[in-house]
Amino acid sequence: MKIIKSSMVGTLESSDIQIRVEQRDELGIKIQLKSSVEKQFGKQIRKVIIETLESLGIDSCLVIAIDKGALDCTIKARVQCAAYRAVGDAEKINWEVIN
Amino acid sequence: MDYDFNGKRIFLDDMLERKKLEIFLNIQGIKLDKNLDYTVGIYKANELIATGSFFKNTLRCLAVKSEYQGMGALNTVVSNLMNEQYKRGFTHIFLYTKCNYIRLFNDLGFYEVARVEDLLEFMENKSNDITNYSLELAKTSIKAGRVASIVINANPFTLGHQHLIEEASNENDVVHVFVVSEEASVIPFSVRYELVRRGTTHLKNIVLHKTGDYIISNATFPSYFIKDEENVVVVHAKLDLEVYKKYIVPALGITSRYVGEEPYCSVTKKYNEVMKGSLEKDGIICKTIPRLSINGKAISASSVRQYIREDKVKEIKGLVPETTYDYFISKEAEGIIKKIKNSKNRH
Repeated sequence: MKIIKSSMVGTLESSDIQIRVEQRDELGIKIQLKSSVEKQFGKQIRKVIIETLESLGIDSCLVIAIDKGALDCTIKARVQCAAYRAVGDAEKINWEVIN
Repeated sequence: MDYDFNGKRIFLDDMLERKKLEIFLNIQGIKLDKNLDYTVGIYKANELIATGSFFKNTLRCLAVKSEYQGMGALNTVVSNLMNEQYKRGFTHIFLYTKCNYIRLFNDLGFYEVARVEDLLEFMENKSNDITNYSLELAKTSIKAGRVASIVINANPFTLGHQHLIEEASNENDVVHVFVVSEEASVIPFSVRYELVRRGTTHLKNIVLHKTGDYIISNATFPSYFIKDEENVVVVHAKLDLEVYKKYIVPALGITSRYVGEEPYCSVTKKYNEVMKGSLEKDGIICKTIPRLSINGKAISASSVRQYIREDKVKEIKGLVPETTYDYFISKEAEGIIKKIKNSKNRH
């Protein structure tokens, strides 16, 4: 899937994560993470974001994440949704990769 | 403690709701901004405990009742506003706040663009986006000894603007002309820009730019937390100049800025005064060019609009370059002329 526009999902409430996905000209996934638990879970949060995007077949985008202590399942759901919104066209979504 | 907050849109056309909101904000020490597109209230049971609004892509009038501060009510407000902003297609979002709240907004993903002393902080929702803007700008930089800059709204482009640009063009190697791209004027940006372009084709050392999101006009500058009117102009000018000096001047290697003398408008006059002081402190020449007069009367864009409003388009012939005149007598301009006639606003 290809990111063609900016999207935003989630809130800044406690236990949630706000994910913004944007187009990027270069290849690769770039993450700007701000988290209240960055020191403890920063690595894990980045890992979940990258794995989720890769499983959707996205290889280039900018992710701006503002985390307020979200669990992995929340992060995954938010990232999936943000990616789908940023694809623009529902036809292009490959639903089969969701598990 | 019960954390069950409900967000609900507040419609400011409803006078009762508006009054309630005004009282709420006044208690928090801020006023209701005069330009607002959307307002949300956060309620606990039926009590208003927090609020926030936006105008175009700037968040405004954010406040949380003192008893409820530190409970994440601001997060709810900002989440709600950001969602609505994205729905409306704004993804690059700004806010202005007092300096003691910087950390709070930092945690919500806002980053500093510029600061005015201890009075005001200007933030955006992407880290370093202004640096990218500055880098983009630097691509159009031309190495030369004397690099001038001009910022104009050109609403519409008159002989006065042309004269100002010509003067700068004669005295300098390169002139960067910034046309204010914010849509706060009756004439849309695309037309203003195009008329400037057409009216300066005879000058070879001009580079045209749009100001982008970082320079906003006085008309939409949020002033709700600044006490008196006089101060608003000064703070606005200082902020503008911070952005200008920090990001635009170094990107283009600017050595001077040209402005037209302001005989009529006291706000612009004050702005120019602050600008002169601020630029000269940093070694940038600020040159005031006397307005071009015709028949003893200084040319101004507002008088051109006045003629158009009174249906005397022919009268503007002596005040504007041929290119602008040709535009206003063409069929293309009909819609805009209608808009000018309907607007009573100063801008």
